[in-house]
Formats: sequence, C-alpha cells, structure tokens
Amino acid sequence: MTLEFALVVQAFVAAAVDAAGTVPVASVVGDFVEFLSPSNLAGVLVDGLAKAAVFALIAVGLTLIFGLMGVLNFAHGSFTIVGAYVAGLAMVLVASSGDGIVTRIALFFVAVVVAFAAVAALGGAIETKLIRPLYDRPPLYQILLTFGLTLVIDEVVRMVVDFYGLQPRSAWQEALGTRPDWFRENHEFLGLTFEGMDLFEIFLGVVVIGAVWLFLTRTRYGLFIRAGSEDAEMAEALGVDVRRVFTVVFGIGAGLTGVAGALLMWDPGWGASVTVGAEALLPAFVVVIVGGLGTFKGTVVAALVVGLADATMTWWFQNVLVTMSWLPEVVVFAILVGVLIVKPRGLYGVQEVGGH
Amino acid sequence: MSADDAGEATSGGDATASDVAESVDAPLLEMEDVHAYYGESHVLEGVSLRVDRGETVALIGRNGVGKTTTLRAALQLTPPREGAVRLRGEDVTGEPTHELAHRGVGWIPEDRRMFEELTVAENIGVAVKDANRVDEKLESALKTFPELREHRNRKAGDLSGGQQQMVAIARGLVGENDLLLVDEPSEGLAPQIVQTVADALERVSDEASLLLVEQNFPLAMDLADRFYLVDNGRVVESGSTEGVTADDERIRRYLA
Amino acid sequence: MPDDDDAKPTESGSSSEAVATDGGETPPAERAPSTTSHGLLGGTLANLLGGDSAFARYARSSTAHAVVLAVLAVYPFVHAFFTNPATFNVVPVLSGAPEYWAETFVAVLPRVETMVAIFYFGLFAASFDFISGYTGYLSFGHAAFYGVGAYGVILVANGKIPLLGSQTPFMVTILVMAIAAAVLAVLLGLVSFRLSGVYFAMITLGFSQILYVLFASWDFVGENPRDGVAVLSHPEGFEIGVPFVDALNLQIGQLQGDSVLYGLDMAKLGFDFLGFIDVTVDLGGTEVSYYMVGLVAVLGYAAMQRIIHSPFGRVMIAIRENEERARAIGYDVYKVKLAAFAMSAFFGAIAGGLFAGFRRSVSPENSLYFLVAGDALLAAVIGGFGTLAGPIFGRLFHISIEEFLSKSGSGGGLLPWLERTLGEGTMTTETVGGVTVGEGVDTFLNGHAELYVGLVFVLFVLYVPNGLLGTIRVRMGGTVAGQTAARIKRWANGAAPTGSKSTGSADAEGDDD
Repeated sequence: MTLEFALVVQAFVAAAVDAAGTVPVASVVGDFVEFLSPSNLAGVLVDGLAKAAVFALIAVGLTLIFGLMGVLNFAHGSFTIVGAYVAGLAMVLVASSGDGIVTRIALFFVAVVVAFAAVAALGGAIETKLIRPLYDRPPLYQILLTFGLTLVIDEVVRMVVDFYGLQPRSAWQEALGTRPDWFRENHEFLGLTFEGMDLFEIFLGVVVIGAVWLFLTRTRYGLFIRAGSEDAEMAEALGVDVRRVFTVVFGIGAGLTGVAGALLMWDPGWGASVTVGAEALLPAFVVVIVGGLGTFKGTVVAALVVGLADATMTWWFQNVLVTMSWLPEVVVFAILVGVLIVKPRGLYGVQEVGGH
Repeated sequence: MSADDAGEATSGGDATASDVAESVDAPLLEMEDVHAYYGESHVLEGVSLRVDRGETVALIGRNGVGKTTTLRAALQLTPPREGAVRLRGEDVTGEPTHELAHRGVGWIPEDRRMFEELTVAENIGVAVKDANRVDEKLESALKTFPELREHRNRKAGDLSGGQQQMVAIARGLVGENDLLLVDEPSEGLAPQIVQTVADALERVSDEASLLLVEQNFPLAMDLADRFYLVDNGRVVESGSTEGVTADDERIRRYLA
Repeated sequence: MPDDDDAKPTESGSSSEAVATDGGETPPAERAPSTTSHGLLGGTLANLLGGDSAFARYARSSTAHAVVLAVLAVYPFVHAFFTNPATFNVVPVLSGAPEYWAETFVAVLPRVETMVAIFYFGLFAASFDFISGYTGYLSFGHAAFYGVGAYGVILVANGKIPLLGSQTPFMVTILVMAIAAAVLAVLLGLVSFRLSGVYFAMITLGFSQILYVLFASWDFVGENPRDGVAVLSHPEGFEIGVPFVDALNLQIGQLQGDSVLYGLDMAKLGFDFLGFIDVTVDLGGTEVSYYMVGLVAVLGYAAMQRIIHSPFGRVMIAIRENEERARAIGYDVYKVKLAAFAMSAFFGAIAGGLFAGFRRSVSPENSLYFLVAGDALLAAVIGGFGTLAGPIFGRLFHISIEEFLSKSGSGGGLLPWLERTLGEGTMTTETVGGVTVGEGVDTFLNGHAELYVGLVFVLFVLYVPNGLLGTIRVRMGGTVAGQTAARIKRWANGAAPTGSKSTGSADAEGDDD
C-alpha cells in the first residue's frame, strides 16, 4: 500500500520532471525526503513563523485601519521605516558594548515603546489633519493621499539619514550592531538548530499580536472599535465618538508597524533603510488582501500562510532548485492572485467592510 | 468635540436632571421647519413637530415621504441644512450624533442594524454609556427581555429577526435614554412576533418618550398618544390618536 | 489636447447649465460675421472661423490642440534660443550678464532630452488614466504593460524572441508588443474584472509584481537580470517611420539618433532677390528623437482621445458613474471593461517601447516595478484624473520639479543658478550648525524632488482634487477645446457675451477634435 503510493508519486514526479527535463527523478524524491527530515522541517517552520510574525505585525495595523475607516493606508511602509530608525536611534544612543543580553533586550523593549509612541503620534496627527477632511470623498482620495505621504515621509527620512552621513539604501549597521550576540548565533534545542533572531521575532510577534487581540476583545475601547468596524453610524448613534476612535485606531495601527520596524532594524535580512518601506509594504498588502480586508483573524491566518509558504519555497529553491532561486518572491504574489481568483474577498472577507 | 466628550465617563443621569431643572416647560424634542437633503434631492421640506415627556408620538405616511429622514435629522445623522432641532429647549442642530446619544436620545433603526459579528451581550454593552455599570445594565436588560438570556453569547447575526429586534430595543433601553426614535419596529416580522415587539415597546414607553415610525397603522394608533401625518417632506396632519381609524377621510387621502 | 465634455459628466452637466443661463440672449448664428470690428486680417479670419461650415467647426474646435502642438513643435528651438548667451546680446534684458540669463533659462526650461521622456511617460500616464480615470478601475499594476513594451523592444533587438529577428523594424516590434500587452490585459482582466475597488487595484498589482520578480531574476532576459539589460546586437538607433521604407524613417536614441541638416539658401538657388533667406535647420539626435517620439505619443494620445469621445467611451464613463445602471441599460459592462483595459495596455506598451527604444536599456526598477504605475498615478492626479491630457501635463510638472532640484552635474538645476545669482560668498556662508548655504541647498533641496513633488501631490489631493486640467475645465465651464471653440465663435461673430445656442453648439463641436 505504502509502496504502491510511493510508486505512484514517483511516477507522477518523474513524468513532471521529465517534462521539465532539468532534475533527475531520484534526486527530487530524495530531496523531498530530506525536506521532511525533522531538522529541515523544524528549520523551515521556525523560519516561516518568524516571517509570519513580521508580516502580521505590519499587516494587523493595515487591516485595523481598513476595517474601521475603509482607508487602504499606503503610508504604512513609511511608518515602518520611521519606527525602524527611531528604535535604531534609541538603541544606538543607549546601548553600550558592556551590556548583557538581558539588559539589551530590556533596552530593546524600551526602544519598541519609543518607536510605538512616536509612530502612533505621527499616525494620529496625519489622521486628524489630513485624512479626516477626505472621509466625505470617494475612497480613491484616501488612497491617493496616503500614497503622497509615502513620498514625503520617505524623502524626509532619506534627507535626515543622509544628513547624518548614513546610507539610506542599505541597512543601518550601527543599529544592527546593538543586537545581542545570542541572536546572531544558532542554538540547539532537542537536537534541532534554530537561529536566535527567528525565535525572538516569533516571541515578539506572539506577544504583540496577543496583546492586540486582548485589547480588541477584552476592553471597552476594543468593543467600540469592533462595533465601529461593522457599522460606524450605528456605533455613533449609540454614543461612541467614532471620529475619535478613528484617530486612536490609526495611531495604534501606525504604532504597531513602528514596532515591526524596530524588529526589522535588528533583522539583517531587512535592516533599517528607506527601501525597506516598499519591500515590507508589499507582502503586508498581500497578507491583508489574502486574509480578507478588515478581518483581524484573517490577517493573522494569512500571515501564517504567506510566511510558511515563503519559508518552504525558500528552502526548496535554496537547496534543490537553485537555478530558480527567484521563485520564493513570486510565490507571495502568486498566493495573492490565486486566493483572489478562488475567493474574491479573501479567506475571511465579508461582503462589505469599512466605515461610512 | 473630542476634548469635552467625556465618553463613557459621563454620568448621563446627572446631565439629564440638570437639563430638566433648567427648562421644565420646553418640550423634550422640538423640530422646527427642518429641511434635509440626500445629495441634491430635497427630502424634508420644512418638518415641524414636538415630542413631550412621557408621550408616544407616531409618524405615519406612505413610503418615501421622509419619515426615516425625519428621525435621522433629529439625530443629526442627516444634518438639517435649514431649521432647528431642540432638545429640552436647547438647540442641538449640527452637534455630533454621539453627543445627542449622551444627552439621552436613542435610536432603534430600520432593519435593526445589529453588529452581526458581536455577541448579544456585546451589542447591548456598546449602548451602555456608563462604563462602570455595563454588567448591571446588561442584567436588567435580560430581565426585561428574558428570551435573550440564553442567546447572550451568540453572535447577533445568527438570531432571528424578532430576537434581533429585541436586542435593538434593549440597546435603546440600556442607554438611559429619555427619548427613543423607533423606526419600523414591526417590519419583516411574523404577526405573532409583532405582538411581542409591541409589548416590549409598551414596556419601554413607561421609561422614555417614543417617536415612532410605523407602517402598521392599527399598531401605530394603538401605541401612540398623538400622531403626525407626513407627506412629501412635510407634516400635513396631526392630532390625538383617540378614535382615529384608517378610514378617516383626512388620513385615507394620504395613506391610500 | 483637452477634449471631452463627458470627462466629468457631473461637472459638465452643471456647467452647461451655468453657461446656458449666463447669456440668455441668443445671437443669430447665421448672421454674417462682422468684418468691421476686427480689421482686415482679423476680418478674414473671422469669416473663416465664424460660420457653421464643417471647416469652421473643425478649425475652431482644433484650436486648443493646435496651439499646444505648435508650442511643442517649436520648443527645441525656443530652448536653444533662450539657453544661448548670445541671444541676450541681441534681446534687451533688464540687467546682468547674458550668461546669467542663459543660465537662468537652463535652470528653468526642461531640456529637450527631458521632454522626450515626458512624451513617452506622458503617453503611459494617459494610458493609465484611460482605464483608471474613465472607468474608475484603478489599474495599479499598469507597469506590467509598460514593461512588456520596454522589455519587448530590448529582447527583440537582442534576438531573444522567436520569429522576430534583431533587425525587425522598430515600428513592427512596438506594434507586436502592444498587441501582446493587449492580449495580456485581456487575460489578466478576465480574472481581475470579477473584482472591484481596492481588490481590483491589488490583484493587478499582484500580477505586475509577479512579472517584475520574473524579469528581475530570469537569466533568459540577460546576464544580470536584476540590473536590467541593454541593447547588445543592434548598434544603430531604432527607427521611427514607415517600416521597410528607408527614406521615411529616422533613428532615435540619446546618442544613436539621426541628425538632420536642412539648408535653404535662396541665393545659392539663384533667387538673388530672396538672398536674405539663408536658413539652416540643424537637428541633433536628441532633437530628432524629440520629434519622432513626440509624433508617436501625439498619435497615441489622439487615438485614445477619439475612443473616449466615441460611443464606446461614453459607456466607459457610464461604468465609472454607475456600473449597475450601465448594466441595467443593457451594456455588457464586463466586455467593455475588458476592451478598455486591452486598449489601455496597448498604448501603455507603446509608451514602454518608446522608452526602451530611446534609452536602449531597461531595468526591472524603471519599467515593471509598481512604483512606475505610482508615477503614472502621480502624473494623473496632478494633471487631472479622467482628463486624458492632464496626466501628460502632470508628468511635465513632476519632471520639471525633479530636474530643477536635481543634484548638480545632472542637468542644470537650482544649485548652479543660485551660485551664480547669490555669489560664491553667500553660498559658503555658514548657517546653523556650521552648514553652509550651499551645503544646505544640496542636502535639503537637491536630489530630494520627490519630497516636494509629494507635498504638491498631497496639496492637490486635499485642495485641487480635479488636478490642473480638471480645474481649468471647471473654471472654463467645459473642456478647454470646446470652450476655446465657443470663444472663437463668439469673437468671430462679434457677439458680446455669448448666448446659450452658440456655446451649446460649440460645446458639441468640442467633441470633434
């Protein structure tokens, strides 16, 4: 039975690969077996979860903002950059080489709070001053406005960074250097090897996303936000100051991506740089659309799907199909297109979303 | 509007008491020559009406004559372009809607407008204005509507139409409102449920004044003390509901 | 350029009402144009333009376009004239050295080469506006079509495309790629037009990013796909003209462009009495590229403009205004959207082809990246969303700012001009924190055009939502072409403030151009 199945699989793979004419059959099956080995599978899982954590941190703010006020915030990537540089600055100023790992992580959490506060304040100010006058106009104008803001914010950051002699196109090495050594190294648990940074990303992602979930479901303000996302006018008529909720949510959403920025600042795969804005925004867009715009649950699930798929593909194309190492990047967008074809409103999308 | 909005912290009761003390003679709600538009279309062409404390007033008229818009204009959801809306004698025209809610105006809208993804308890909780009394208010609402108790943790979107209407009325009740604007409460409900809803409204009317839009003419006459008949965005008839029937010439002309 | 009454039906609806009420009196349209009030030459012109003949109508309604075309036609000469210090030895100037004035114009006027870029990208922005501004479906992945045209041209020239050898005429290549882009648009549209709003924008973005990643990593494209690919086996410039007829083609390109030398010396021809006529027209590669790329861009624009004014275009607008109603009336909106998307992709690919043909290289970043579509959006909003011509002016505006604020050494701009105007002393004066004025300008202005363009863009979204051209239309009470026609007719007929009839008919004429 098992043998039969294996033969069928082998025949199928053989046919497929013969058609492609690139990789020998035995090797693909062998590679697949290797992929399924505990160490590789665990590695891919952790890598995927770490990616998912970063995606979710960026995307959750986007989805909260869209769910409540129907604004697709193009400036979100710029908020991420601001968070990365603010947190980086805080670390560079405060951290000293003698710190132990615990001190470093404690300082990092201070930096996270600073980044959250700074970006949340920026977001709140933008919402009250610039976006509020546009609620009466078609949604296009809110997209346009936030798109214009990315140009302005990115360029201001570039200017400031330039002024202090940093290279805006590559990661800020000095900030990256404040990362404890433990994060740089691989660690063994139960015979499996993990990179410290991945574990920290997963940890921070779980903590922050969990906190947001508790805020939404267990607090009175969270109740107002959920009610306002469903029917802003009804919430207003029941006594909720929806306009103020808009500002708060825009601030929180922006602040969350500021936290993501702080994390990216420590991740050598990203690093604090101006170009990270667009690079982070695109997968985050994919995540919110795949999950269904405006749904918290959908966004978290989609972040997991996209993160794990990305990690799986990265493994495959780094270890086996090296000639097509570009495929992982395509996979993210292929998921977007595929999901929209099958479920036009995303995995958990409802027919109508957004405020009035 | 943001700084002074104390949100849930305001104790609605105090404000109401002082307002009442200041303007004892003023009607609870007064609309004077209110004009309202949707985009360019002129829906209300000078509506004037009043609702006094303790009374139930029915707004009747054909579909599309502006009854719902009158309620929306009173709540400033469709802000009047001309005319005035006064609450206990004080002009509230142009005030944000949530301010009016905190001054004791509740809305039980057409189609019930449930927060469908929220539970029954959460739906009612949103409407409680004093954050410290959420549980207490919810409990009293469940006492008034015992049939909701077993569904308190279900999503409101999963309830039947009659149950949703109960939730909508409960939301109006827990808000400690003096005035409830009730829009088509019996619409789309089975006849036996309509009676339950009517009973519920009857109970509510002991605690608050009602301005009621209702297509079911006998039901409207039954519940209300007075009526206004609306046609083409204007009030064309008004008076006591005492002895009024649909056959009445001045009524039939507008309802037929 | 400015075109249609129906670009913004709501506005033109109310504005035509306004026009109808502002005159009241109907001037006799048949009245013989008065010659007395215009003088002899003016009178002749008035006779030509005032009547209701087909010629008069056409001439009137084409005036606005003709003026723009005329300005574009002489621009290279104007630019050469004003940036040459010798000019200011002849032209009287208030004060200052001729070099100073020449340099001022160098700083302010876009270079001819820049104008070429404005032509092809303006055409792309117009194609973006064609679908996004007229049907209301934001094609955020429009860069895909630009990229197909651009990569198509380079890959064909490098002999990478079967059946199309590297010597395939440029015009044929560009047409094939435009058709390919249209086919691609139909395929993407089949899926994408099941969605609307943000979802449509995002799925098109997804498709275009897939192409972007593909072309950035696929070594079929070239040795180093991430950095892009240049023309390898087609040393001569790409030719624009009639394919296979050598005499009717001119090469374009920054270096490869043909130069044209055309001399007209009457004395040498034996007409001694006209001896004062001795003109030499000398066009370099850049100028030839300017005219040839400009020609294709203008033709592309004209074609789209005709489509917008056709019954098909009216359905597109109906879809934007109310898709349900358009469907209820009986239009097959799905097919109309697909066709419009295909047309828009067609012209977008032509723009991309011109870009690659002129630059002779292409990279994923400057053709397929989603921010390329973002630049088109920028141009469209600044110029006027749903005005077709507006995006071209929007691009001109964007690039002018960018060039004005470019880093010194790459095309004139602010810094050299400031240095000359304020003097070396001022520029090296220290300000706050030991930063000199010159360094300050270099740090906070030069190379940061995106900041100022972004600010302008945000201000436009907030305060000028109709864009440049859209606002002018609102002011004029209709399309520029239509209103210009109406004004000419009024002038020619010597009528004082116009009446509703002439304006109305001229408005309808506006359709014609």
